[in-house]
Amino acid sequence: MGADMDNHEPLIRIEEVSKIYHQGKPDEVRALQDISLEFFPGEVVVLTGPSGSGKSTLLALIGCMARPTQGTIYLQERRVSRLPESFLARIRRETYGFVFQQYHLLRDVSVLDNLMFPLYPAALPYKTMRERALLLLNKFDLSDRHKTNVRQLSGGEQQRVALARALMADPPIIIADEPTAHLDAELSLELLKILTELNAEGRTIIIASHDPVVYQSPLINRRIGLRHGKLVDDNNAGAGQ
Amino acid sequence: MIFNFKLLEYSLSSLWRRKEKNIALMIVYALVIATLGSVLLLTHALKTEALMTLSAAPEIVVQRTQGGRHELIPVHYAETIAGFPGVGKVTPRVWGYYYDSLVKANLTLIGLGGYHEQLELLEGRLPQAADECVIGAGVADAFGPQIGNLLVLEDSSKRRSEFYVTGIFRSRSNLLTNDLVVLQEDALRDFFAMPDGLATDLTVQVYNSREISTIAKKIAYFLPDSRPITREELLHTYDSLFNWRSGMMLAVFVSALMAFLILAWDRATGISAEEKREIGILKALGWETSHILGAKLREALLISLSAFIAGLLLAWFHVFVLGAPLLMPLLKGWSVLFPTFDLTRGVNLYQLAVLGCVTILPYLACTVIPAWKAAGSDPDDVMRG
Amino acid sequence: MILHPGILALLSGSALILLMLLVAGGVALRILRHWNADSGSTTQLQLERQTWLVTTLLKYAFGFQIITLFLFLFTLDEIHPLFVGAMCATGSLNANLVGWLVLLVKIGLVFAAAFWLAVNTLDQGTEDTPLVRFKYVTLLLLIPLVALDLWLQWEYFSGLRPQMITSCCGSLFSAEGEGVISTLTGLPVEQGMSLFFAVVLLYAGLLLASLRRRAVLLRHGLFVASVLLFFVSLAALVSFLSLYIYQMPSHQCPFDMLQGHYYYIGYPIYLGLFMATLFAMLPGLCRPLVKTASLERQLESCEPVWLRLALFGLILFLVTSCWQMVFGPLILLGY
Repeated sequence: MGADMDNHEPLIRIEEVSKIYHQGKPDEVRALQDISLEFFPGEVVVLTGPSGSGKSTLLALIGCMARPTQGTIYLQERRVSRLPESFLARIRRETYGFVFQQYHLLRDVSVLDNLMFPLYPAALPYKTMRERALLLLNKFDLSDRHKTNVRQLSGGEQQRVALARALMADPPIIIADEPTAHLDAELSLELLKILTELNAEGRTIIIASHDPVVYQSPLINRRIGLRHGKLVDDNNAGAGQ
Repeated sequence: MIFNFKLLEYSLSSLWRRKEKNIALMIVYALVIATLGSVLLLTHALKTEALMTLSAAPEIVVQRTQGGRHELIPVHYAETIAGFPGVGKVTPRVWGYYYDSLVKANLTLIGLGGYHEQLELLEGRLPQAADECVIGAGVADAFGPQIGNLLVLEDSSKRRSEFYVTGIFRSRSNLLTNDLVVLQEDALRDFFAMPDGLATDLTVQVYNSREISTIAKKIAYFLPDSRPITREELLHTYDSLFNWRSGMMLAVFVSALMAFLILAWDRATGISAEEKREIGILKALGWETSHILGAKLREALLISLSAFIAGLLLAWFHVFVLGAPLLMPLLKGWSVLFPTFDLTRGVNLYQLAVLGCVTILPYLACTVIPAWKAAGSDPDDVMRG
Repeated sequence: MILHPGILALLSGSALILLMLLVAGGVALRILRHWNADSGSTTQLQLERQTWLVTTLLKYAFGFQIITLFLFLFTLDEIHPLFVGAMCATGSLNANLVGWLVLLVKIGLVFAAAFWLAVNTLDQGTEDTPLVRFKYVTLLLLIPLVALDLWLQWEYFSGLRPQMITSCCGSLFSAEGEGVISTLTGLPVEQGMSLFFAVVLLYAGLLLASLRRRAVLLRHGLFVASVLLFFVSLAALVSFLSLYIYQMPSHQCPFDMLQGHYYYIGYPIYLGLFMATLFAMLPGLCRPLVKTASLERQLESCEPVWLRLALFGLILFLVTSCWQMVFGPLILLGY
């Protein structure tokens, strides 16, 4: 995973990437324009900017959820920007753990199934998956709630279920989109603490947020500013040191 | 392998979470299958019934035609035919139809001499005097008489004739005995005012079944005004008749199926926002398009197979327990006194295969495009939404 | 005759397959015109998504085609009493000139569709999908074949007249007649058996060798052996295996075994033979298409699966068809 913190090879390399939605249609949106960036192993990076600045789109491209209209993306020197969808899906489930703004848990499904359903394509034995899920729930103080329908959970609990789910495949990179949007300041700080712990385990953390609690936190070691789909600011402080 | 089971588990869970919608769909689907299944079960049962009866029928029936129409046949033809090698017994039969305007039913009246084959299926005894008769179960129900009662009929000159019922047919296969009234032959000649020396037709027994067609040809050659009808021909006619009937009805009900499919299409395309969201999340977290498609196929298979089984059970109940009350008006063809249904219960594999092909394949085909649309959502919608 | 329920089911099934292929064909045309793997444009993304529609449609169509092939045989069996002289499906097939042609086209379609799906699996398993053009051109070629299937079936069934006098297996497959089939059936049992088992041994040997070794030559050899196996086995079924299956020294018919009173033994026999032929053909068939390293890798990961399926098919076929030969009381040799 991230044992090689002193490795200066970039983990993710983005070269002149643009993303256009609804290309050639009246509602065409140029979400990103000519972005070039590098991310290094072990970094905690925050993408900031007002809504509509392209944070989420950039996060989606980094997370192999979408492919750029132009430009190239490398993940550990593998060119992923032109891979067919099925390969991208595989990378998503093996390399990334996602935490979304709305948590995006499956409604009317138990906490345990919420952790296990996304991992089904990995075709692990049921027992292994269950053990892993229970371990993670235990870690996030949710072990007594594994049979509960997620509708009955509080906001903070849902956030922790989402975090546990992101860790199911033991991914080297965590991607979080506005993770504190629905949390009060106290819970936000707690979340940041958890994320830092995950970073200490060697995982690279990439967050999109315009919450000052997050981007002004001393726990963050790199801030990237975006505006109108363009890069405006990057205090690339020595690649995650 | 593990993944296949996991997908199935996911599909089950997904179906269960939307049970209101899916149960409604399944009920309509099962009803369509039950209707189609009833048609197939019923026609098959009737066909088996008819074939069973016919297999006891004489090998050849000889009629006489005059001017292209059926005429009474001279009894002495029987001697000519009996002279052919390979021919067993030749029996003249006296029979005719009788329409009762009161009960609005058609009866088949037949002389005792022509009705040997099914005598063992009788309850009571055969007519021994001119004013006695044996009737089929359908006649008994329609006219109401039991053994010992009187059956009152009007003959060709509107004269009242009374017959004591001495027996009732309780045939295992009552397709042909149902509307039957058996009288003594002389009494029947009297009733129809039919001259002696003539009969309605002749039945010919042939020892070797391979010779039937040769003997039929011979009869037609030596008695040019006669028309021999072999049992094989009857079997074919029945077979095509029933196939045609069930095919007709199938064609009608296929339109019902179509209507259902349009409904199903509508349901399936109108994937709920919640389901769309769920698929989006799974895709974002690493499910591939093919995984979603696989799960959707399993859902469609689960729905169709359970609807198929439910529909088949319904059809079975409808046809064999209730006696197909909903299909009777459509199938009543050749006689108003249609047999009451003590139908031979049975399903054959071929019918199941046909029913499955007609109902399940179109449904599955209809789910392809909606499933693909659902599976094709962009994973980054989740992020941007 | 068209209104027979089974025939209605067959015709509507084939029409459905044609419809699905037409939809797929529409997508294929668009893909052939606009495909550009290097582009990240919206059009390209849409086309890539549509390839999944085509894949799904073709998979379903393939499944339906297999089902309707068996339903076709089943129907032939079911309608034979309508024809004078017909005692099994052979009689129904002989009732009309196009009968055998329908069967041939149907079998051909199953093989063609399976080949397409195999190529598709190879292609979708690579990152650069180099076979896109080949795939969609072949797909367009499949459509006329499916239309032909539907049309021939229509011709066949609408041309059927009940009470038509046909000849049945007894005359078609008897040694006294003329032509290829009679020559086959007339072949001395001993020679026929030796030929059959020689081919089975050749096939099995090449199959096992292919499972162990990577030599391309083995794949091509296996391809030839599987084609041989298919035809020699069909001949063997007619000439002597059927005798054992029916336990009668003169009953030679490839279709009677599909009937209920032989416990539908024909279905596993033919299924096994199809699998053994098809999956052993695939490695050899796909070889010439493999031009990139990515396809090479993909083929290598698919091959063991195919070869094992072929082996399973062979075992299924041999067990179900030869079982009576070994354990049944009928003895042909030695007379």
